[in-house]
Parts: sequence; C-alpha cells; structure tokens
Amino acid sequence: MALDLQMPVLVVDDYKTMIRIIRNLLKQLGFEDIDDAADGTEALEKMKQRKYGLVISDWNMEPMTGYELLKQVRADSGLSKTPFIMVTAESKTENVIAAKKAGVNNYIVKPFNAQTLKGKIEAVFSD
Amino acid sequence: MAQISKNSVSRVIDFLEENKKRGGDVSLTDVMHLAEVMSGSMHDLLSKVQPAVTEELTAIAREISSMKEEICQLRANDMTSNRIPDAGRELDAIVEATEDATNTIMEAAEEIMSADTSDHEAYQTLVSGKMIEIFEACTFQDITGQRISKVVSTLNFIDERVSAFVSRLRIPEEFEADLEETAEDVRKRELILHGPQHSGEGVSQNDVDDLMGSAQDDIDKLFD
Repeated sequence: MALDLQMPVLVVDDYKTMIRIIRNLLKQLGFEDIDDAADGTEALEKMKQRKYGLVISDWNMEPMTGYELLKQVRADSGLSKTPFIMVTAESKTENVIAAKKAGVNNYIVKPFNAQTLKGKIEAVFSD
Repeated sequence: MAQISKNSVSRVIDFLEENKKRGGDVSLTDVMHLAEVMSGSMHDLLSKVQPAVTEELTAIAREISSMKEEICQLRANDMTSNRIPDAGRELDAIVEATEDATNTIMEAAEEIMSADTSDHEAYQTLVSGKMIEIFEACTFQDITGQRISKVVSTLNFIDERVSAFVSRLRIPEEFEADLEETAEDVRKRELILHGPQHSGEGVSQNDVDDLMGSAQDDIDKLFD
C-alpha cells in the first residue's frame, strides 16, 4: 500500500492538545485531510461513515479505549484492513505485545517527536 | 460483698439513654466514651475483689485516653474540610495553567508556521512578537512549581499523622484487610491501563520497535 498524502487520516485522543499537536505534525508532513475523535466509540462511528486511510489512536480513553477500538476495527470485515498506529503513554511490554497481537501496524510511545511519527507512518505504508 | 456503686450505674444508664435519643447513630468517640464510663464504673467494684483486674482496667482506661489524643492529633476534620479540598483546587489550577500555557505556545507556533514570509520585515516583527508570547507563557512553570510544593506539603501532613496513628495502633500487617477489586480496577486490568511510566520503568521507543519487529514466537517466549 502506497503512502498517499491526500488520504483522510483519523486522529483519536481524549486530550484536545494532543490532537492539535498530531494534526500540526501531520500537516507539516503534507497531510491535508485530517479528522479527529475523542474516544474509540466516536472513532468507530466515524469509521463506519467514512473510509480513512490511516488511524492514529491513543490507548487510554473513556468510554472506549484505543485497544478496544483496535480490536473492533480488526473484527469488522469492512474496516479490518485500515492501517492503525497506536500513540500512547502506555509503555509496558505487555501493552506493546497486546497491541501487536490485536493487529496494530505500529506503536509510538509518548512523548514522541515529528521524526518518529514520520518514520512510523512511512514504515506502515512501506510494508 | 462488693457492689457497683449507684453513681457508677447511673453514669452508664445516662450514657445509654443519651445514645438512644440519637437513634443509634454511634461514632467512634461514643464507643470510646462508653468504654471509659464502663471501665470507670467497674473500677470501684473490682478494686475490692481483684487488684490485678483493677490494674488492667486502669491500663485500658489509659490506653483509651491516649487513643483519643491520637485521634485528635490526626486532625481528620481539618484534612477533609480544608487540606484535601485545597490540594484538589491546587491540582485543578495546575491543569488549567499548563493547558493555558500550551494553548498560547501552540497558537504562537501555528501563527508563525502559517505566516506570509514574502515580506521579510513584517515576518521578522511577527516572529519576534510571538517569541515574546512564548517566553511569557513559560512563566507558568514557576507558579505551578509553587502549587505542587503546597500539594506535596499536604501529602506529607497526612502521611505523618496517619503513619503515627497506625504505629500507635500497632496493627500487625497480617491483620490488614485485603483490598477488594473495584469496577475501576477490573477495567484497568482487563484493558491493560497502566498510565504513564516513570523514567526507566517503561519500554523505550527502541524496545517497542524491537518488539514490533520480533516474530510472534519470539514474543511468546518472553512469557514462557
């Protein structure tokens, strides 16, 4: 799958400042169509209404976490192929492994920099 | 034969009557007061029958009195009415200050990023002005540092008093009740919610990259 800067990207985080930071970094990387959601439930609703080329999600949110969102996305035949990057402060080994087992495409530990975000997005689309 | 004096019985009855009027709403202080009244009432009777028992009762009365003093030293009302709510307000103010500062800095950065660079002089003036705004916003760190010191001071106040109280009670560790898992605890366990780790406790981005690059068999071996 090739990286297309025109594709819509969904950023999921319950912290508005973090959405703003990721949105600005994505704009710097050349992405123009960026949408956001405050938790997994809202993200899932948006994903059922629109086809996103990439989801960048936090883990720790209420009511639906990013981990639950990832599992629901992978279980839904219409959404299961959507590239999914977890961006989170959850940095225990068991979190990384659980996310990998659930089918995450890449995992970024907060705090992160623009170079890491760029590198992980490129890695997802070069696989 | 030795008997409990009429006055002693009367004090116990008065206490029970008073408690009855309150509809059974009994506090720890009431229980300790009853124990004091009872031990005082029994003192006269038992001192005539068995001096050793009298000594025990005196020791119990002293212990109760000392315990009351320890409870007063806890300053529980001050903690719940003033210190803990004040600490909560300080933390709210810290969240608000950091959020305001972050927004100010991000707005300045966004304006610089989207500015027209064709007019160099105007661009330089804009950047200088926005840099000053960023420096000003960073002053939040001094104030939040002072607020955090106040919260730490409150935690130390509670720690000192609770530790002294627990030490005075001399409760063996094996007597401590098991903590029941709350619904929130279950959610955290099932959804693997640990929150941010301290430096050196979590895995680094390099470790994450290694795990993501590992074959599933290699990962499974970590749990064998």
